[in-house]
Amino acid sequence: MIILQALVNGIVSGTLLAVPAIGFTAMFAVLRFPNFSVSGVATLGAFAGYLAYGVGLQMAGSLVVAFAVAGVAGLAFDKLAHLPLIKQGALPAAIASIATGIILENVVRLGFGNAPRGYDRPIARDVFLGDIRVSPQQLETMGLALLLMLLVFAALAFTRIGKAMRASADNPELAALKGIRPERIATLASFVGMGLVGVGGMLLGLDSSIDPLTGTRILLSLFAAAVLGGLGSVPGAVLGAFLIGMAEELSVLVVGSQYRAAVGFIAILVVLTLRPRGLLGERAY
Amino acid sequence: MTNIRIGRRAALAAGVAALASPAVVRAQADPIKLATLTPLTGAGGPYGPVMAKAAASVVEEVNKAGGVLGRRIVLVSEDDQTNPEAAVRAARKLIDVDKVAAIMGTWASSVTTAVAPLCWESKTFLCTVSGADSITLLPHQGFLIRTQPNSKLQVTRVGEFILSLGAKKAFTMIPQTPFTQSTFDILNQVLPKGGCAHQSLIYDDKKTTYRTEVDQALRTSPDVILANGYTPDTVVLLKDLYRAGFKGKILGFAYSINQKLVDQVGQPEVVEGVYNFAPASAEGSSAFEKAKAASGSANPDPYTCQVYDHINLVLMAIASAKAATGEAIKENIRKATMSGGKVVDNAVDGLKEIAAGGKVDYAGASGPCDFDEKGDILDCKFRYEQIKAGKFTLVKIA
Repeated sequence: MIILQALVNGIVSGTLLAVPAIGFTAMFAVLRFPNFSVSGVATLGAFAGYLAYGVGLQMAGSLVVAFAVAGVAGLAFDKLAHLPLIKQGALPAAIASIATGIILENVVRLGFGNAPRGYDRPIARDVFLGDIRVSPQQLETMGLALLLMLLVFAALAFTRIGKAMRASADNPELAALKGIRPERIATLASFVGMGLVGVGGMLLGLDSSIDPLTGTRILLSLFAAAVLGGLGSVPGAVLGAFLIGMAEELSVLVVGSQYRAAVGFIAILVVLTLRPRGLLGERAY
Repeated sequence: MTNIRIGRRAALAAGVAALASPAVVRAQADPIKLATLTPLTGAGGPYGPVMAKAAASVVEEVNKAGGVLGRRIVLVSEDDQTNPEAAVRAARKLIDVDKVAAIMGTWASSVTTAVAPLCWESKTFLCTVSGADSITLLPHQGFLIRTQPNSKLQVTRVGEFILSLGAKKAFTMIPQTPFTQSTFDILNQVLPKGGCAHQSLIYDDKKTTYRTEVDQALRTSPDVILANGYTPDTVVLLKDLYRAGFKGKILGFAYSINQKLVDQVGQPEVVEGVYNFAPASAEGSSAFEKAKAASGSANPDPYTCQVYDHINLVLMAIASAKAATGEAIKENIRKATMSGGKVVDNAVDGLKEIAAGGKVDYAGASGPCDFDEKGDILDCKFRYEQIKAGKFTLVKIA
């Protein structure tokens, strides 16, 4: 029974992890470098949402603010710091993104201090479905995350811009020949990808608390989820996030949660050794 | 830099005046030098200035009453900047230039760890308020005492408090820290002796939810949970314990379960009834009242009380030894507090008793100030509080 409960807990945390993982992998698909500044951007999104929620915006409005602030900041850093370096290869851009992540983290620290803050949401007792315990709030957060994911999938599948994005990710040269402008797609990918990361930061913070290290804490799980599913694959990121979420919770039963970080590392190691392209390969969709 | 220029004539005049004055005055001009090395700036900045002030007031009182061994006391105050590197420079100056016999009040464990070797090498006595267990394990040859309870004393008292709550099954949830294993070891000794089963779990303090950890803890149906983390993770943990419907008692250290935590959880019923505890000064004791006056604070913090005790102990040790060296203080500091003699709460009374040939037993503002051979205190008071309607209320000081 405790295993079932841990699996349910894992699905909940996997859903929350999936949102920023989609953003991360979508950016990789188009821009072709792992953008580690997601740690700082997730924190920024969480704090932007916190401020918006604090001044009385409802949940949906706060999520929009988190998305917009994180998207704009992420885009600015991409344009100013990461993309100018991409001509030298993915590695310099990735390293620069670690630096910008640290900068963002410390900007938040400068403004808000180190003390953790909590969203002013009522904390409710859990409800029991049979023997399985679920939190009504987590269900709500999970619902929001699922809704977001559906929106992303719908946009990629049915809109012109979504199709252009997929085309550009699959084969940039061919897409350019067809008149798709790569810079536009890159800008869009940066904005939307980072916006999702920001929203992810806020969703993760809703049930716990946020502080300048909120994003850094999830960075490894996020990266592991994207690698596991196949870097660049949006459905892969979702699958990877669920698997990592469940593996992390199950590992608590077996080895104790102080080894949680090892789960992410082992997942990356196994995937890179046995199936370097990830579970679903690297096709964007 | 400002240069102080003393004219040749002035210097000559001063020299003649000094030689011409009676021997008593010259003896007083050869004072006993002691030092406080407290964090006047940096993370310890809120504490250091008050600590230095408390020590200075004691010295002033003793000087008014005629000093020690007929000599005046000069107390030099230096700033350790809550920084080991700055502290080493300051300590070098105190030892090499001022030639002090004792340094008191080092606050951060990193500072004390850096300064201690300079002290024992130069046979300078060191009194500290730092908490890290490793400090008294340094090869200090007796040149160090610490008035802050180490983690063994703290955890033992926690265990006793858990037993006093009537616990039959206790569960400890703790992140990985240097104290984790020793906490388990001590509780595994203390709790079963009182008829309470103990189980524990180490959690990752970077997780955003502890649902599975809470499930694991609740499977053992504990009646008391010791939430032994820091504020950010304890916030998450307490919320998850509430969500899971835990009805037993929860307790934790005051450095983590504090007003900040209550504000952050934001919902009083989540933290209702949670206990916290912290090492406490000997509030209500006569020495504590004197430390209030010395520090000019209505509610002196534990470190200020401890420095008040340092200076009193060092002065009485010098009087017992009839010598003002670090070596003499080392040999005599326990005579000032563990002799079974007359109970005193300040150096002025103690010095009179010693001068009259008696023994003194100092009862301090921070506690009884009895030390084991490593320099750790044997006992002190703890303060227990409980959250009621979002406010901390005093349960007991014991």
